[in-house]
Amino acid sequence: MAAETQPNSRAEGQRPEAEDTSSASGSWPITLDNVGVTYPNGTVALSDVSLTIAPGEMVAIVGLSGSGKSTLIRTINGLVSATTGTVTVGPHTVNGLTGRQLRQVRGHIGMIFQGFNLADRASVYRNVMVGRFSHTPSYRTLLGITTPHDRELALRSLNSVGMLDKVWTRAGQLSGGQKQRVAIARALTQEPSVMLADEPVASLDPPTAHAVMNDLRRINNESGLTVVINIHLMDLARTYTTRLIGLRDGRLVYDGPAADATDRDFEEIYGRPIQPDDQLGS
Amino acid sequence: MSATTTPELTLPPKPRNIRQRVLVATGFLLFTIATCIPAIGGITLDIAALIRNWNNGAGLLLQLFTPDFTFLPRTIGPMIETLQMALVGAVGAAIVSVPLTLWAATPTNPNSITRQAVRTVINVIRAIPDLVYATVLVAMLGVGALPGVLTLFLFNVGVVVKLVSEAIDSADHAYMEAGRAAGGSQLQINRVTALPQAWPLFANQWLYALELNVRISAILGIVGAGGIGRLIDERRAFFAYDDVSVIILQILVVVVLIEFVSHALRRRLT
Repeated sequence: MAAETQPNSRAEGQRPEAEDTSSASGSWPITLDNVGVTYPNGTVALSDVSLTIAPGEMVAIVGLSGSGKSTLIRTINGLVSATTGTVTVGPHTVNGLTGRQLRQVRGHIGMIFQGFNLADRASVYRNVMVGRFSHTPSYRTLLGITTPHDRELALRSLNSVGMLDKVWTRAGQLSGGQKQRVAIARALTQEPSVMLADEPVASLDPPTAHAVMNDLRRINNESGLTVVINIHLMDLARTYTTRLIGLRDGRLVYDGPAADATDRDFEEIYGRPIQPDDQLGS
Repeated sequence: MSATTTPELTLPPKPRNIRQRVLVATGFLLFTIATCIPAIGGITLDIAALIRNWNNGAGLLLQLFTPDFTFLPRTIGPMIETLQMALVGAVGAAIVSVPLTLWAATPTNPNSITRQAVRTVINVIRAIPDLVYATVLVAMLGVGALPGVLTLFLFNVGVVVKLVSEAIDSADHAYMEAGRAAGGSQLQINRVTALPQAWPLFANQWLYALELNVRISAILGIVGAGGIGRLIDERRAFFAYDDVSVIILQILVVVVLIEFVSHALRRRLT
């Protein structure tokens, strides 16, 4: 039921905000054009990465830790700015944006993290309301005024990941899997046009990991949202995503359908033989 | 006996620095002695005065040990004034401390210019002793509770902002990345997530400030800044040490009570 009402409330919710015309149409494409990132300490994290992700795709970015996948995903919402090249998300060129404009674009890009990144002492409700930041004037946030519309969005998001009964619980009291669900609800509350996930299951046990991956796939299926997942585990990448992008030492080394990727391909991406902990198992 | 089963452990040679330690200890000792020799600019310590004036001191001690409890009713009013000053100063400081603390901590204020400005002001406020504030404020505003309250306020702001902002600096702030990724401004992130995270730190220091205030405001009256201290000063001037004794006992009881309550509350903040 929530699945049916959500797209409707989305369309209504966007109407009052004039600059949001593009997101009302739903999902956004992502284009990276010769993107390179060099950190101030001289580390080259990404070099010359070009790729295009179509709206509604479910993409896994695979690589060892240090391969640059964390950096890559952060260039998409400007948490890391590309030193060279162009990052385009929907109608916006992300690199070069600052301040209010950057925050506006980020408002359309949901993100979940390996460590969940919840404020443990705040309630689940407050954590989910973080998803409304970019749509809320600062004075309203300061005074703690929430609109009925924002409240409705937050509660619906929580409901869609099965966490509505925990709405007044302190985030710190939840289990790892519950925390990641709340984090997903926080991202959904943004009514995003793109969903990013940086190692979303690396801190979870196998059953919970599958549940979270299922949630992400369901979001992709039901609302046609573009989903980009950084993931190290090859079996999860194969099972849950449709396209595989391989990174090694900051370079794009593989791009193809996830189902076709052989163990040999993974060994190529990792640059070493496959080890037992490259797979989650079930 | 166990040496037969376990092989002997070979330790690396223990560093020997006994000579260095003796040298440092001797240095400190000589310096301390030197500070007590007036001929080379040291302080004058006339230990003999202790014995010479013993009769004086004994009589005073005797008076102190025989408190005149008929004086107790006269202390109630000033004591209540002291408690009121302590509370008003602490509450005022608590309110002001919230934005100042968030401005003074690195995670909640990435702008180094405003952060350093707030920190500098707070450090200056902290550097000035409370009795100096009280003395100057009494001179400016006249004798009464107001200069006392202002002294406590300034003192509390310094303590709370310094300690809480340092605690925020050393805490983990992963949730901020999520707030930024959602397109939040620093103000929004602070208000919705950083503030609840810092709340127990604040509450802890606010209660601690209240505790300190009760102790300090007992003294502030001596320079005319209101409260029970004014009564101490008055009775002392009349050499009525049996009355002073009552006041001291009363302060002791009140301070212990406040500390007990404050400790109990602070332990519940986890």
